[in-house]
Amino acid sequence: MKARTASLLLMAPALLLLAAVFLYPLLLYGWLSFQASSVLTGLEPVPNGGANWGRLLDDARFWTDAFQTLRFAVCSVALELVGGLGLALLLHRPLRGRGTLRALTLLPWALPTTVMALGWRWILNDPHGPLNAAIRFLGGSSYGFLSTPATTWFFVVLADVWKTLPFVGLLLLAGLQTIPEDLEEALRLEGAGRLQILRRLTLPLLVPYLALAVLFRLAQALGVFDLIQVLSGGGPAGSTESLALYAYLNAMRFLDFGYAATVMLATFLLLLVLVGGSWWLWRRGDLQGRREGAA
Amino acid sequence: MRLLVLLWSLGPLLWQLRTSLLRPEALLAPLLEGNPWTLANYRLVLSGDPPFWRYLGNSTLVALATTVLTLLLAVPCAYGLQQQRGLLRWGVGLGLVAAAMVPTVLLFLALLEIARRFDLANDLFALSLPYAGLSLPLAVLLLRAAFGDLPAELEDAARLEGLGLGQRLRHVLLPLMGPALASTGILVFLASWNEYAIALTWISRNDLLTLPIAIARIGGGSVFTIPYGAFAAATVMGSLPLLLLVLLAQRPIVSGLTRGAVKG
Amino acid sequence: MAARPPFSSLRRWRSLPKLLTTGLLALLSATVLLVLLPASGLSSSGMSASPVAAADPVTVRVLMPAPLADAVAAPVAQFNASSPGVVLEVIRGPLDTETISDLATGSLLLGEVPFDLLLVDVSWLARYVAAGWFEPLERWFGPEVLAAMEAGARLGNGLDGHLWRMPLTGDTGLLYWRTDLMERPPRDTEELVAISRDLQRRGRVRWGYLWQGRQYEGLSCVMVEVLHGFGARWWNGSTARTELDSPEAVAAAQWLAALLQDGVSPQAVASYAENDALQSFAAGDAAFLRNWPYAWREIEKGGGPVKGKVGVTAMVGAPGEQGGGTLGTWGLSLIKGSPHPEEAVAAIRWLTGPVVQRQLAIEQGYAPTWSTLYDDPDLQRRAPLLTVQRQALQHPQLRPPTPAYAQLSDLLARQVNGMLTGQGGSGSTMAAAQRQSLQVLRSLAGPAGDTADGRPAVDR
Repeated sequence: MKARTASLLLMAPALLLLAAVFLYPLLLYGWLSFQASSVLTGLEPVPNGGANWGRLLDDARFWTDAFQTLRFAVCSVALELVGGLGLALLLHRPLRGRGTLRALTLLPWALPTTVMALGWRWILNDPHGPLNAAIRFLGGSSYGFLSTPATTWFFVVLADVWKTLPFVGLLLLAGLQTIPEDLEEALRLEGAGRLQILRRLTLPLLVPYLALAVLFRLAQALGVFDLIQVLSGGGPAGSTESLALYAYLNAMRFLDFGYAATVMLATFLLLLVLVGGSWWLWRRGDLQGRREGAA
Repeated sequence: MRLLVLLWSLGPLLWQLRTSLLRPEALLAPLLEGNPWTLANYRLVLSGDPPFWRYLGNSTLVALATTVLTLLLAVPCAYGLQQQRGLLRWGVGLGLVAAAMVPTVLLFLALLEIARRFDLANDLFALSLPYAGLSLPLAVLLLRAAFGDLPAELEDAARLEGLGLGQRLRHVLLPLMGPALASTGILVFLASWNEYAIALTWISRNDLLTLPIAIARIGGGSVFTIPYGAFAAATVMGSLPLLLLVLLAQRPIVSGLTRGAVKG
Repeated sequence: MAARPPFSSLRRWRSLPKLLTTGLLALLSATVLLVLLPASGLSSSGMSASPVAAADPVTVRVLMPAPLADAVAAPVAQFNASSPGVVLEVIRGPLDTETISDLATGSLLLGEVPFDLLLVDVSWLARYVAAGWFEPLERWFGPEVLAAMEAGARLGNGLDGHLWRMPLTGDTGLLYWRTDLMERPPRDTEELVAISRDLQRRGRVRWGYLWQGRQYEGLSCVMVEVLHGFGARWWNGSTARTELDSPEAVAAAQWLAALLQDGVSPQAVASYAENDALQSFAAGDAAFLRNWPYAWREIEKGGGPVKGKVGVTAMVGAPGEQGGGTLGTWGLSLIKGSPHPEEAVAAIRWLTGPVVQRQLAIEQGYAPTWSTLYDDPDLQRRAPLLTVQRQALQHPQLRPPTPAYAQLSDLLARQVNGMLTGQGGSGSTMAAAQRQSLQVLRSLAGPAGDTADGRPAVDR
């Protein structure tokens, strides 16, 4: 089996790096979450039983952040799906200048998150930013968007949607392009309206792509970090703080590595449950649908 | 409809451009007299210490190194994976998909530990190592799909001719993979440029900062005076390289993402 | 596809295993090269160590928040002019206390520190010391040097018998009162509330007492003062534990809650930071304000309705208890491993010396540390807060001097802010704070957290 071993050898260096970058952290966190490794132990690990996990369960900040992160992820992904679908449908139609349009709508996704986060801070600035200027022009009074939890959160979601919508749109566009045109033609000849075609043909065939987009984006959104750190700093008063930011603060500000590892592991588990659960639900629904379709 | 979409996508960017060209006084209230436009913000940003283009250079350096390293590792891996059958292929594939979904920031503590232990901090080349690792899942998946697209007979013919693996790769397969390599490379380049958490913890020296970190620091360092004109100039300058890249290379990017979606 | 040229011409090449091994070797060496490549000419510049001749001036770098950096710019220039061979360079850091700490921590963790001196806030000292990043200073600043300082200013600089920080300022929290609304300041908390309510009833003022109730470090400073004022304490140094559930502590929290319930303080206090409270007070909305010394200068400079009508006094406690303001001082620490400790210490001596402190007192309102400065009649004239600040330095209160302070502060501020926004009573709030604090200590220190004194397990 020379070819077999050869191909394994070819994979080895990459797999090694992957193990170092993905596997090692998980193992390290698992071990570290049962150690006290903080400034109080001279940054050396000292076993402390389950004290970190006990603390996590009673940690109001962790659970608040978990809820906030989840809420952010769900809202953001939902909006991206709807918007992305709209964008994909728009780009699917034979328009003039479609290529340029596609390129231009891709721009937000290409920018580093922090670059535009700074831009959003200015746009929302009270009282000099353009948004407040527009409000004042329309007769209202300027508002501190980033000093109220509700509006800050709204704009964090908006900024995230703005950036990743093109990515989702492209994904869905790829899916749209696999739908055979004759099927669409057939339906149109039957007299089906645009919405009906969407419902009966497009969406069902698009499900695998929608699922892929959802799973991928959900996982990424649960780890939101740079957007929040630059746009809101987790504020006001921690109302937009995400789990990743909390883990980061525990390590880099409080110098508490044991607990930081615990928080990150807990976030991983949350991710696993959520994404795994969604995937399992989708598979079940998919299989069920196929069984029904076959019946 | 199209106009709305364009406004949504480009609006914030164009506003940043406008802000960067205005004088500080003009930002606070509409100027009644004099020319509000100025290039002073750009001069301010460029004359900083270190000058702004240094950050762009740092990011480019890391991104290039990452792209090269990733492709060097991903091509053999994708090829090897394509040759596998059964459980190993499925398992590794699933593992790669799972890895591709992990948010980078959750890995930073372990990677920081590695940086401290092996003294890899504050070195732009060393930074490309974890970056390559983080880009590998996507790269391998995309390249495996591309390898799979190639007709099997081509390689079989080459094998029959007696060509070794290296020769087959070099002279037959890789030339055909050109577009796939390009799009994968560009996607890796973009991802590396965008990365924040690892660079944040691995680089502390002022002159070695990558762009996202530099921008975040500029924004976080605000005192009572709010030099938003300068921020905007920094934002515009930070955006330009990638914007250009995307505009010029949008075809390979789109095809890369598309292929990934279709095969994923 | 077009016909490909025949492959036979390539049969000359070596066989597979050899190619694979050379390929892997090349990859391995490339990786090793990348890893071991020190800060090369491409990836670094400017900061490379060039051979320094004996005559070249030594550069000492100090990291400071931007406002303080600007404030000491003139003295720094003076130092550089008068000391050949040493160049003092001030690195302007971000304004926000937490941000500058994060910046320093990031560098210190990686072991590559671009500065020799750090301006340290009193609340971080224990954490940095426990991490082993500072060099003890008692070698250069012995007890006779410290004896020349006000007793209160000596606090917060030493731990475990070593001096880790030379203080630059002696600021404490202060109570501001309206001279046009009352003849003399209140002597305790009950008088404060009584006067407030009276003034409010008579319509002279909208609110009684403004302070910082937002969920952040400022609230912890307020808590320190209130806890002490009611005879409670946050941290027990001998047991290295918190004591937040004592009856006195609950009474302290209850007093704060009552301020909002009874309308002496507005609901908005629960979202106030220093500047918000100051703005409202400076607009004439309230009779009392709790803030730092800088607020005085802001009020006088701002020229608003209360300019010239504001008095300052030391923080009050409950009847029968001694009040005390939270110590909020900055000081200079020497980074361990600095290549030029002697020159750096010379810089510390200058920057924390009387000349610089005098200027800071006059121009910025910071409280000095040296007793001679407090005795100086000229300075007393030009820095109006001097007498009050000296009085406040008789009973300053320290925040818990434990490396775990940041976490403890965060959870107490979270709990108390929840209480202020109506999410719980004072009893349950303090009980929860105490329980969570103990969990944090146990999680941070391992089994040692249950019994020992909270000091680092490894003696550095």
